[in-house]
Amino acid sequence: MSKRKNNILILGLGNDILGNDAVGLLAARELKKEFGNNIDVTEAALSGFELIDLLEGYEKVLLLDAVVTKQHSPGTVLELTKEHYKKVVAVSPHYMGLPEVFQFAEKFGINLPKEIRILVMEIEPPLDLKEGLDTCLQESFLKFVDKGKNILQNWNI
Amino acid sequence: MSTKHISIDPITRLEGHGKIDIFLNDAGEVENCYFMIPELRGFEKFCVGRPVEEMPRITTRLCGVCPEAHHMASAKACDAVYHVEPPSAGRKLRELLYNVFFAGDHALHFYALGGPDFVLGPEASPTERNILGVVAKVGVEIGMKFIQHRAHQSAIMELLGGKKIHQVTSLPGGVSKGLTEEERKGVESRVLEMVEFAKFTIKLFEDVVLKNKAYVDLILSDTYSLKVYSMGLVDEKNRVNFYDGKVRVVDCNGKEFIKYSPNEYLENVAEHVEPWSYLKFPFLKKIGWKGFVEGNESSIYRATPLSRLNAADGMATPLAQAEYERMYKTLGGKPVHATLATHWARIIELLYAAERSLELVRDPEITSPNIRIIPKEKPTEGVGIVEAPRGTLTHHYVTDERGILQKVNLIVGTTNNNAPIAMSVKKAAMGLIKKGIQVTDGVLNKIEMAFRAYDPCFGCATHTLPGQMPLVVTIRNKNGDILQEIRR
Repeated sequence: MSKRKNNILILGLGNDILGNDAVGLLAARELKKEFGNNIDVTEAALSGFELIDLLEGYEKVLLLDAVVTKQHSPGTVLELTKEHYKKVVAVSPHYMGLPEVFQFAEKFGINLPKEIRILVMEIEPPLDLKEGLDTCLQESFLKFVDKGKNILQNWNI
Repeated sequence: MSTKHISIDPITRLEGHGKIDIFLNDAGEVENCYFMIPELRGFEKFCVGRPVEEMPRITTRLCGVCPEAHHMASAKACDAVYHVEPPSAGRKLRELLYNVFFAGDHALHFYALGGPDFVLGPEASPTERNILGVVAKVGVEIGMKFIQHRAHQSAIMELLGGKKIHQVTSLPGGVSKGLTEEERKGVESRVLEMVEFAKFTIKLFEDVVLKNKAYVDLILSDTYSLKVYSMGLVDEKNRVNFYDGKVRVVDCNGKEFIKYSPNEYLENVAEHVEPWSYLKFPFLKKIGWKGFVEGNESSIYRATPLSRLNAADGMATPLAQAEYERMYKTLGGKPVHATLATHWARIIELLYAAERSLELVRDPEITSPNIRIIPKEKPTEGVGIVEAPRGTLTHHYVTDERGILQKVNLIVGTTNNNAPIAMSVKKAAMGLIKKGIQVTDGVLNKIEMAFRAYDPCFGCATHTLPGQMPLVVTIRNKNGDILQEIRR
């Protein structure tokens, strides 16, 4: 495992050529401007086992991502817990989710963060390749970043 | 005759990846079956107008499952666009990176995706049928070996690719980063362990699958057989090669049908469109589209680990060659059309990838500083082909004289297999769903096994935080009323 520079990680998940799907990456970049000297910031378009490599060795992680639940209007910012993802089964290791990642890590004594906060923003399913968020999500994006900032401040950063 | 409708619909974070619709008639038998993958629109358009040298970096964003394959195919297409051949050491560094990637990717599939069906059994509960279930059954030490294998892969990829994810070192004309002797020694010690892990995996497959007659019978059963052409990249001796060579296609009897260079792909492969699918269906152009039929009269081909072995005359490394020979001897000769044998072929390729990596890292030239030739020719047009873990991957770029992209065309691994997957799923459904048979979770899993063998990769599935692909299975009558629904 690579040596960690800091104990806290902001992990932005998303794809920066999939429009609104990049909201987690863009928020991570914003937070890096203010907190980047004291924490690590990583961007990734990954899931499954690759997440273990990114999370291992940190004490706390703020994870930022986009979701499509269709239960909330686009732009809604939610904080999720691992409980939200229980009782689901990935049919592919490529789509292995956080619960299985944590179970797997626990089984093999991999040192994953003791505290992980998950902030997500509801988006419409991206169907076209493009860069940048829709204009209508700009206001929600600021709230998304603010919520992330609050979490980091509560961690005394 | 009225129809009932069974839908296997993976609901994912980014909605609507793959979907299987099975239509039953009044007799309760499968009337038709459709495999569908929604395709993201506009990648070619997105790329047009950008400098071509950005493509090895951009195309890694196209797929969250095998970005390394796109990185490599793109770099090779850029070489062709700029009419430059990387120096030997640069080429070997790329091939080393690529084989290490293959060894990790194939192991992940075997232990976490394909393996559970055999280790736990196809009827096992889906909550157990995963890598954790495998570990619970065969022992924690196997899980530890797997973790170590992945750690070796990850460390080498980061060293050679510049980044752990979305590698950046392959550029037009070679690579941007060489290997010092000290680094080489470190890679060699890791690769040695990867070879041992690959040998261990072959032994595990033998113990769990080959020594179980029921599994061998399942592999060889007609339900999981599909006789179509086989495609794969081969070297000058017609041996499997993931990074370079010519594309060879053999017919259902194993006879060479065509062998072509990357820049000849448009003369050999065309794409058919069906109104019910977003994804096109590639076929052999010299035969022409003949529909979803098997046999030499069909133009459908597979591009999978099994088809690569079928299309080749052998493997270029000794241990993989021995296992190659054993597979064909065990399964009744070459070519093999048993879809589930793809799992065996995949771990033979895992062994080859590890052995080939060892050869490359021990090559005296691998630490040479001569790793890139700066392109000087005027850019025009180029095609790059590599074998992705899921099939032959083609990148085709056309630029203006400044190197600005005017046209982009990609044929990705899973697209090659679109028609065979649809046919394999239909055949499995027809073999497994009969009148009076309850469509249980186990039955559905056996149908899924037909497409899981291909390790299909859906381009838009770049990352999934929840990770789940819960299946919703709905059986409807002709009026659309739900008769049965299974969720997991």
